[in-house]
Amino acid sequence: MMNALLVEPLVGTERLPARASAPLSSPQVKIAARNLDFFYGDHQALFANSLDIFANRVTAIIGPSGCGKSTHLRVYNRIYDLYRNQRASGEVLLGGENILSPGLDLLDLRRRVGMIFQRPTPFPLSILENVTYGLKLYYRLRPSELMERVERALRQAALWDEVKDKLDQPGMALSGGQQQRLCIARAIAVEPEVLLLDEPTSAIDPIATARIEELLDALKASFTLVIVTHNMQQAARVSDYTAFFFEGKIVEFGATRQIFTNPKLKKTEDYITGRFG
Amino acid sequence: MRRRSVASRRIVDLAMRLVAGSAAAAGILALAWILATVVSRGAAAFSPAFFTHLPTPPGVAGGGLANAMLGTLLITSLAALFSIPMGLMAGVYLAEFGRESRFAAAVRMATNILMGVPSIISGVFVYTLLVATTGHFSGYAGAVALALIMLPVIVRTTEDMLLLVPGALREAGLALGTPRWRVTRDIVLRSASKGLLTGVLLAVARVSGETAPLLFTSLNSPYWPERLGQPTANLTVTIFSYAMSPFRDWQAQAWGAAMLITLGVLATSLCARLLMRGK
Repeated sequence: MMNALLVEPLVGTERLPARASAPLSSPQVKIAARNLDFFYGDHQALFANSLDIFANRVTAIIGPSGCGKSTHLRVYNRIYDLYRNQRASGEVLLGGENILSPGLDLLDLRRRVGMIFQRPTPFPLSILENVTYGLKLYYRLRPSELMERVERALRQAALWDEVKDKLDQPGMALSGGQQQRLCIARAIAVEPEVLLLDEPTSAIDPIATARIEELLDALKASFTLVIVTHNMQQAARVSDYTAFFFEGKIVEFGATRQIFTNPKLKKTEDYITGRFG
Repeated sequence: MRRRSVASRRIVDLAMRLVAGSAAAAGILALAWILATVVSRGAAAFSPAFFTHLPTPPGVAGGGLANAMLGTLLITSLAALFSIPMGLMAGVYLAEFGRESRFAAAVRMATNILMGVPSIISGVFVYTLLVATTGHFSGYAGAVALALIMLPVIVRTTEDMLLLVPGALREAGLALGTPRWRVTRDIVLRSASKGLLTGVLLAVARVSGETAPLLFTSLNSPYWPERLGQPTANLTVTIFSYAMSPFRDWQAQAWGAAMLITLGVLATSLCARLLMRGK
């Protein structure tokens, strides 16, 4: 019965999903997961996940609670490394380099792959210091350059106008939606290649959510975005590609329009139409 | 089907409320009584001389406990100087790095045991370690004995406070490519700073009233604490010896010292409370 859910690993990019529209033509693969397994201690959470993440596109990961969406995402920047009983096997290629290889420089990986969390995580610092925190880790900048980059990041995160007069105030003093955009500004200030978003709007009100969704559309010009969401409307609105996860396996992956209008598998259709999950 | 009486339930309810209420009142009453007695008896001893002069023999007016106040301040500060950095670092190790390792579990258990050790045992332990070996009582030995009592309190509160910092904040720091030690220093410790300060204040409050460990280590002295390598005056041992003495004026000064310490501990605890509320 499980066989119906298994998908064969993608081989190269021949099996690219049907292209939804013109601007999606010939996308480049930014991240390629191949046969990715993941374990929490003895418990296996991901089974032979193979997935292509295309550059400068938004890929949504959907599926019911506990299906491994976040677990999969958390492999891309190896944040799971913090916990000693978690491990991944298989291959995850970022620009051709396997990020699971033991010798990899984690700090460099995390400069290239930023992450936004479910709840906003402003550091206990001022708004300005929040944005410069990552910048100062990687670059030696003159004060004028630093301010330029701060302004650019805050503008990209659509937050500049709201905070430009109070940059020295604590980041925690902002509203939830503003805090989340501050975190986005902080992450993109270091100019990563990929931005991972783990249910970035689940703790935020609908209006702030709409602002962040608009933002994602603008950000994909500069970054590759992967968003985990339990909100299917959100996936349909913001993403170009969608991967449907179930019980640790990738059931179906394709262009978002195809997944939502013409899913190939019954399981996907049942989930999309709200029959379970 | 017979109905059960509502009246009997009302009576039981009232009785239970009375019992619980009077138990709570008894606790508050005891505190109020202690405070009232200490303040009413101790306030009389407060005078400029009490805070500035050395002790005088019984019957000689104009004596003060300035040396004991300074001694207590020095011994407690020195104890804090030993125990705060060590306690904070041990707490950071347990919460951030050791976590579920076997070594961390052993340290945690040792800390719990140390916390349960009666303070007099710390005194006797430091006596054999630093007094018997050197041949004389000293303020340093007193500071070590107090540090031993403060250490586990600080370790445990530090660990507890750091564990309250959301894991997502640590992950957010690491996800930006921050090395672990910088995440700990810039983000985790800073987020928990109020809680950490509270823990330290409570530890200081806890030891500032200790007498038994000092009795075996600092002992007491009628002179200024010029060097801590000798018996050193302090308030609690002074209270002990003055209160046991047959002299009225010494007893009055013991009340004064008791009031000073009580107010000091009260103020410290209140500061800790306010800090936590401000969180």
